[in-house]
Amino acid sequence: MRALVFTSRNIKELLRNPLSYIFCLGLPLVMLIVMTLINASIPKPEISAEAEAFIDTSAIKATTVFNIDKLTPGIAVFGMTFIMLFCCISVSSDRSSSFLTRLYASPMKSTDFIVGYTLPFAIIAAGQFIITYIAGEIISLIVNGESLNIGYMLLGLPLAVPSMILFIGIGIFFGTLLNDKAAPGICSVFITAAAILGGIWMDIEAMGDAWVTICSCLPFYHSVKYARCILAGDFGGMVLPLTVTAIFALVIFAASALLFAHKSKADK
Amino acid sequence: MNKAIELKGLTKKFGNKTAVDHIDLDVNEGEIFGLLGVNGAGKTTTIRMLTGLSLPTEGNAKVLGLDLKSELDKIKMMVNVSTQETAIAGNLTVEENLKFIAGIYGVEASLFEERLEDIYTSLELGEVRDQRSKTLSGGWQRRLSIAMALITGPKLIFLDEPTLGLDVLARRELWRFVKKLKGKVTIVLTTHYLDEAEALCDTIAVMAKGHVLAVGTADELKRSVNKGTLEDAFVEIVGGEKK
Repeated sequence: MRALVFTSRNIKELLRNPLSYIFCLGLPLVMLIVMTLINASIPKPEISAEAEAFIDTSAIKATTVFNIDKLTPGIAVFGMTFIMLFCCISVSSDRSSSFLTRLYASPMKSTDFIVGYTLPFAIIAAGQFIITYIAGEIISLIVNGESLNIGYMLLGLPLAVPSMILFIGIGIFFGTLLNDKAAPGICSVFITAAAILGGIWMDIEAMGDAWVTICSCLPFYHSVKYARCILAGDFGGMVLPLTVTAIFALVIFAASALLFAHKSKADK
Repeated sequence: MNKAIELKGLTKKFGNKTAVDHIDLDVNEGEIFGLLGVNGAGKTTTIRMLTGLSLPTEGNAKVLGLDLKSELDKIKMMVNVSTQETAIAGNLTVEENLKFIAGIYGVEASLFEERLEDIYTSLELGEVRDQRSKTLSGGWQRRLSIAMALITGPKLIFLDEPTLGLDVLARRELWRFVKKLKGKVTIVLTTHYLDEAEALCDTIAVMAKGHVLAVGTADELKRSVNKGTLEDAFVEIVGGEKK
């Protein structure tokens, strides 16, 4: 019950902050549109079978990440990095003010805090995911004249929960660890890392085995990969990256919950 | 008279530094009790221990007849605190802040409405009930912070430096509201303003370097060191510690 009261407060705080609309909803949509326009302006060379035998065509093929069926899941995952940012700012701001001190003196438990921070951002993340996929569908109809697979899109939402938990967990972790001045800076590093190492703007496989190995050590690449597999209906290819993402999410979320509990009793 | 708080050798150490050193104190039910001292005297640390924000290193206390160490969860339900800095949710309205904190303490809806009207009347917050709290002035925010402590119907309330950073008019306003609470709820307030302690408190404990140096009414403290003002008495008492 206390967790739900705290959830309600956090949702109100989030919805009344105009920046959350810009970053959590506006920015993913803008990026989806801009990247589609960029993709439309890239000339598509015809590659003959003879040419493929003599030249490395991976760089040319890499531009497929800008195709709407690849771009939409990528942007949906990238949008969650902004959820992470806002979650981090929310936790660190509460800690920097004496608001949390007042709540520590109340009957609230650590689990109430964790649930109260997680639920609102999970709801916003789900809303962001739905809006991004609806926008992707509209763009696909306009640009390609064909629909994305609606069934796979619907399946993508519940299966996106591990990614949501992952990014919210990172947000809570750094919001608990850092003050409200340092937290946004660290989150920016993660946003950049997720974009580059997650393969949102580039085809990681086309960049060589070493790059794939590096990216595989972090959760972002797996998170983007399984989201793309779901939309493509490649359920066999989805299993491993989904499992890896879920493990990362569980470990990071558990670490953030333990850190929060520890920090709340830091001087005891 | 029943005791709201009984401290027995309460001590808090941070590494080698002793912030509160074996203090014994009794606070009577219904009184306004002041912890008076300069910065670093141990006032806030004492309150942090009594509200469960910090565990005592040694000693113990009874709060509202309950053991601080073993019955903290029960104590938390009957106690509230208004911290040194204003602790409010800035993007919520005044009423939403009150509803939020009442929800945390599980206050029933009918009781909440009853208390809300009382608070709007006594603290005159009704006129800003729908205003976002971050847009309120410092004095109003502090008033809201105290209202958030009162809405839960505590038997004991801690006000940590309630007028710190307020201008003289806002301070006097807040004094007026605290005086209205006298007898309704036990109040422990920390302050380093001597005039505030004298104007509000039934009993004052003078603290310095983690020790309680003297306890009594303002007049008793003055008489104890044969001084005409509380300021002179305070300097004499605390100066005696320095010697």
